[in-house]
Amino acid sequence: MSAKINPWGSVRSLAIRTRPTRSCPGRPGALTAAAAVARRGLTHDTTTRPPSDDASIPPPSTAEYEAKPLEIFAPNFLNAEALAALEQAAAGQDMYGEDGEGLKFGMPERPGKHEQLQDRYHPVIEQVTKLLMRDGKLSKAQRHMSLILNFLRTSPAPKVSPLRPLLPGSPPASHLPLNPLLYLTLAIDSVAPLVRVKNMKGMAGGGQALELPEPLAARARRRIAVMWILDVVNRKKSTGSGRAQFATRFGQEIVAVVEGRSSVWDKRQMIHKLGTGARANLSHPAVSGRRK
Amino acid sequence: MASTNCWRCLARPSQRLLLAPASMTAASSNPTSAAFSTSTQLAARSTSGDTGMSRHIRTGKRLILGKKKRQGDKHKTPGPGERKAFRKRIQLSNDNALVVPGLAELTAQNVVDPGAVGQVVGIPVDVVDQLRTCEAFKSTQNWGLFRSPHMLIRKETVDMAQQLTDAVAKKETLRMVVTGDRGSGKSILGLQALATGFLNKWVVINIPEAQELTTAATEYSTVHNSDMFSQPVYIVKLMQAIHKANGPILSQCRVELDHMQLPISVTRNMSLAALINATKEPEFAWPVFQAFWKELLRPGRPPIMFALDGLAHIMRVSDYRSPAFELIHSHDLGLVRMFAEALGGKTPFPNGAAVLAVCSRGNAPILPSMDKALEQAAAIQAGAKAEEVPLRDAFYRKYDERVFEALRGVRVLDVRGVTKHEARSLMEYWAASGVLRLRVDEKNVSDRWTLAGGGVLAEMERVSLYDIRATV
Repeated sequence: MSAKINPWGSVRSLAIRTRPTRSCPGRPGALTAAAAVARRGLTHDTTTRPPSDDASIPPPSTAEYEAKPLEIFAPNFLNAEALAALEQAAAGQDMYGEDGEGLKFGMPERPGKHEQLQDRYHPVIEQVTKLLMRDGKLSKAQRHMSLILNFLRTSPAPKVSPLRPLLPGSPPASHLPLNPLLYLTLAIDSVAPLVRVKNMKGMAGGGQALELPEPLAARARRRIAVMWILDVVNRKKSTGSGRAQFATRFGQEIVAVVEGRSSVWDKRQMIHKLGTGARANLSHPAVSGRRK
Repeated sequence: MASTNCWRCLARPSQRLLLAPASMTAASSNPTSAAFSTSTQLAARSTSGDTGMSRHIRTGKRLILGKKKRQGDKHKTPGPGERKAFRKRIQLSNDNALVVPGLAELTAQNVVDPGAVGQVVGIPVDVVDQLRTCEAFKSTQNWGLFRSPHMLIRKETVDMAQQLTDAVAKKETLRMVVTGDRGSGKSILGLQALATGFLNKWVVINIPEAQELTTAATEYSTVHNSDMFSQPVYIVKLMQAIHKANGPILSQCRVELDHMQLPISVTRNMSLAALINATKEPEFAWPVFQAFWKELLRPGRPPIMFALDGLAHIMRVSDYRSPAFELIHSHDLGLVRMFAEALGGKTPFPNGAAVLAVCSRGNAPILPSMDKALEQAAAIQAGAKAEEVPLRDAFYRKYDERVFEALRGVRVLDVRGVTKHEARSLMEYWAASGVLRLRVDEKNVSDRWTLAGGGVLAEMERVSLYDIRATV
């Protein structure tokens, strides 16, 4: 009979032999090292016999008691593997044995616990690509996205206008073209609005809506900015044809945003003005819940 | 318009005053002009003549009867040809990309050197100009991402260049068809062959897109006393390209024949460059081009490289119609017949020549005749006996005998993916240019090579240069 201990999930099974073993052909060193683990003492004398009245059977003599030999792990391959893993762990190495033995390029990285298929792309790339998508044609939108990134790579470095400052801490403009993802993210994040104005119907009294500013999360801010940019792009007349023409228009608008020429900045300013004005309504009794 | 709010935060001017009083004191303590003034409006009203009394005050609410007038489009519409020019634009440099130092230039020596396999080399500037003139660069290729045009010397390049130069050195004719999978680099191989021709100072004639000749997109006319048709406008363009790309070589050759039948006067001491540049009249184009071709085929002239991209388009019945409204076979078009005869080995080239036909896989009609002819040519090239050569389908009626004639005895170069060694040097070039933001090690090279279906170059570019995964 063998018992199993299972200290870690990957150390698959560790069978303990309770009867004395005849011989262990395999790994003598491993077995001696494992003896310390096996010394539990619980499985030795757990059974009790009822005393028998029959005299023919002599009572067990205590003098002849021999201590049972230490239980040793059964010499099968599962135990050998598990013991090797334990030894590795004791030596401070990786217990899982994922150093890629037999693999040409090592083990691939394990996906993290919360990683999903969608995490394949950068969040900005993924969001903008899905916003570019029309009629569910994701592959076409991805093609557009890569053409946009290549447009940003090949267009000359932008001249950032001091009137429309970009996000603080942004790299110099000459660094942007060779890092098109940063270029795109910087343009979108810089022009994204900080607040939106929520209309609370009838709360101002007299059937009038009460305008309340509301802060936006990063993803929502980016979404609004991209939709504004897309509005401009779709209104712009195409001067080219072929598959790169949409990407060129979009890329030109991104460059215009970074250079401060884009009309998207005015939209942002309008929203900010409205939101700043509507801040007064936050102390409105209908919102704060206080009486006058 | 002056902004009242801060651009980055939501602070108002009053708050900004509180935040930074030092910077605002000069402006706020000493106002020089009023914040609001109606003087300009008043001045405008007084100069315009009317007093303003008779004008309709509520202009915004005037009653409008009838249909609304649609506002004209304010945007400038693109001019004729502008949209196509955008699509076909070829950009050969990108000032943002980094300069890759230490790369050799392409020479006539290293293109035939087996030791140079796997190197990325730059194309010399004058060869770039010549290649651009004969339209060897295509708009679908990614030249525009890098600082200057560079290309990979692969095994097939050296193989092909060796065959070309050996045949020309022996004054033979090499007739070769480049086939291969979609995106495996056939057109780039054709470009490398053209570059070899320019570096070796051959006369290079290139037809960049065969489909321009057969899809009834250019003008055509009958040729007097023959069953052929000429495409005069295209031939004028081609002659100018030949003159511009091969000018120095052609100007060293003199006209040797009498061309009495030509409508222009051609004298014996004219150079061939002058001959081909003699006319821009479409009606004289075909006779002049024929005279030029005859002159080129005289002994003692430089070797010829005649290349064409998109072979399948000239191996079928064209979209043109004869005066009897019957479809014209492509080989009845003058220029196409010239190429087909050269490829089929009917034209003798006493000075050595290389006739190169590049197939295209993305844009090509399905032609059983051409497939079978190339299959047979490949079998013969591989050393098959006469009975082992694949036979034609006995139950297919529509085989085109002229296609088999045009492809008889050609050499077939089948292009596959690059090796991992070549892929690595290419990816190192991309990374050194700053376009590919990735550590180029064995694992990543192997990764991209495998993703690209075993090193198919267009797919490698797609997974490396058109990748939208975050690699930063």
